Amino acid sequence: MKKHRTLLAVVAGLALVMAACAEEQQAGGGGGQAEAPGPGELVTIEGGEDMSGVFIPKATDNPVFDQANDGAVEAAEELGAEPASFEGPPSAEDIEGQIQIMTNAVTQGVDAVMISNNAAEQIEPAAQQAQDAGITVVSWDSPIPSGADAGESLFVAQVDFDETGEVMADMALDLLGEEGGEFAILSATPDAANQNAWIEDMEAALEDPKYENLELVDTVYGNDDPEDSYDQALALVDQYPDLQLIMAPTTVGIAAAAEAMQDEDLCGQVLVSGLGLPSDMVEFTLNGCAPEFALWSFTDLGYLTYYATYGIATGQVQAVEGAQFEAGRLGEYTIEPDPTRDNGLRIVMGPFTVYTEENVEEG
Amino acid sequence: MPEWARRWGWELLLAGILIGVLILNVSLSPFYLGVQNVINTFQLSIEKVIVAVIMAFVIVNGEIDLSVASVMAFSASVLAALHAAGAPFGLAVGAALLTGAIAGLFQGFFVARMGLPSLTVTLAGLIGFRGAARILVEDQSIGDFPEWFDRLGQDPLVGRLSFGLLLFLVGIVVAGIILHRTPFGRSLYVIGDNSEVARFSGINVARTKLIVMTSSGFVAGLAGVLFAARLGSVRGDLGQGFELDIITMVLLGGVSIFGGSGTMVGVGLSILIVLNIRNGLGLARFAITTQTGVIGVLLILSVLVPNLVSRFARRRHRGPGPAPPSGGRTTDQGGDLRGREHESQQATVE
Repeated sequence: MKKHRTLLAVVAGLALVMAACAEEQQAGGGGGQAEAPGPGELVTIEGGEDMSGVFIPKATDNPVFDQANDGAVEAAEELGAEPASFEGPPSAEDIEGQIQIMTNAVTQGVDAVMISNNAAEQIEPAAQQAQDAGITVVSWDSPIPSGADAGESLFVAQVDFDETGEVMADMALDLLGEEGGEFAILSATPDAANQNAWIEDMEAALEDPKYENLELVDTVYGNDDPEDSYDQALALVDQYPDLQLIMAPTTVGIAAAAEAMQDEDLCGQVLVSGLGLPSDMVEFTLNGCAPEFALWSFTDLGYLTYYATYGIATGQVQAVEGAQFEAGRLGEYTIEPDPTRDNGLRIVMGPFTVYTEENVEEG
Repeated sequence: MPEWARRWGWELLLAGILIGVLILNVSLSPFYLGVQNVINTFQLSIEKVIVAVIMAFVIVNGEIDLSVASVMAFSASVLAALHAAGAPFGLAVGAALLTGAIAGLFQGFFVARMGLPSLTVTLAGLIGFRGAARILVEDQSIGDFPEWFDRLGQDPLVGRLSFGLLLFLVGIVVAGIILHRTPFGRSLYVIGDNSEVARFSGINVARTKLIVMTSSGFVAGLAGVLFAARLGSVRGDLGQGFELDIITMVLLGGVSIFGGSGTMVGVGLSILIVLNIRNGLGLARFAITTQTGVIGVLLILSVLVPNLVSRFARRRHRGPGPAPPSGGRTTDQGGDLRGREHESQQATVE
């Protein structure tokens, strides 16, 4: 009987794994390394070569990253390359998941990795390994802090990070008016490279006398988790009775905060603003909970990231300061030093769109 | 059925599953077979597998330690906080290791001396030590450790083996010898099987439990320090949820959740299975949530299938069920599947 039992369990185990693995493994195609033109010469990125890649979002539970992937797939199709595999950790707090995917990408021998870094320097050893293995590593949305020192070729910035701070400060001023008042920031994870840069820029922007009546009382972190963010928003209201505005530079945080204010009937008292996805925010913008917020197109960001990565991986574009290229429907870009990091290169997509009740339904 | 097959039934089953997983992985991904990939497979989960080894002791002893992941975070936070405050780094590492041991001793006191259930005590530990970690590092990530420390966590030390991997390999062999070849190891089985009997046979139950719980805390603290070195920084949420993965590895390895049975060989095989499923599915581009799901289903099956089969067999034969565990032959029960004893008692009553 024991033999039977053993056999049965083995078969069950095998069947299970086999069923789960029915999908085909995709092997990586090679990218030829032609001599790229130097800086100052405009390159039009052209298709024709294949590129195998992995497109890694901060997390798979946030719809903006699906949009980014849609853009990347669109670019891959235009260039006649195989779309990159979309793989990410289940939550933005999962540092290990990104490390695992990056490490596996090295083993798989892909040509390129495109990552929105969900933490700080934790990803760096894996990114360095990838570059050492000849993989083009491009970050988008959220950069790798040590940049070129940790294997990153380029950071595709959604907007100029300095501009983000000013845009947020302007929205705060617009919403609170000349008299100003107390406001707080609800961010994503405490070490998110992009959010931290924006918050720093906003704090710098607030030095300007025209914002002198805006008082930033606290910065809290909802970890890009809707429940956490909701609770943190309510905790802010409890802690600061005079709070008039919650500024959330994250699409998850802003939607959760707006919902919290709506549920507690606080919409007139405490406004919500920041960076939001129009489809998430329509309701709150129209009912006055979050009258004004800003964002860029994540689809375009994914599209541009794929183009830039393809250009570098196929040797058409050199990842050096001053290199210029044309990325499909988005036009021309120039690689420049990233002022927010010591040794990183970037291109800036832009621009911001500020959404109000006038235009939120089109977004 | 020959004696060896009866004794090693569960381990043979695990070995069969492992071979199946390996064959599948090879057929799924051309990149699977490679020395570096084998190393990566361990390296990506090295902290979990190190803690799984000590967790086997805890569960064999009839207890559970839900606090391991929180103790990892707490120890790592002590390291980070001291480092940030400018303390000499060696001192910070020493303090972090000591923190783990003290956390274990503290919980062990309540379990061993006060007789409180370890489930409750370490659940409190899970919440409490996590809270303490979050208070220490607040909402930040603390890094900038000395170069050698990061290297220790990330780079190979001997050949292609990292420090953590060496520690695990040596640790699991030593742990196996202690568990199966020493009086102390045997006393864990007796206590886990029936602590009253153990007490009457002259085993110092409280002291043994205190040692096991303290060791668990210490190893968790060590794993926390290793994790800090591998990631190069510490956050308050470090290792969150690891306790479930760790306990899964131990239970799948054939260690009874009721205590008193299981082998280190089984735990080793189970670790290999879990790591290789994750690696193989990852290389074949399955989502991380799918990987976790497959491991979960495997755990359920590993508990259910043997129980159902043995229950079905007994009903057909109307047999009296298996003989009660024989005192000194601890490995005998390795093949004795989880919950079987309880099931068989029920069956006999029917």
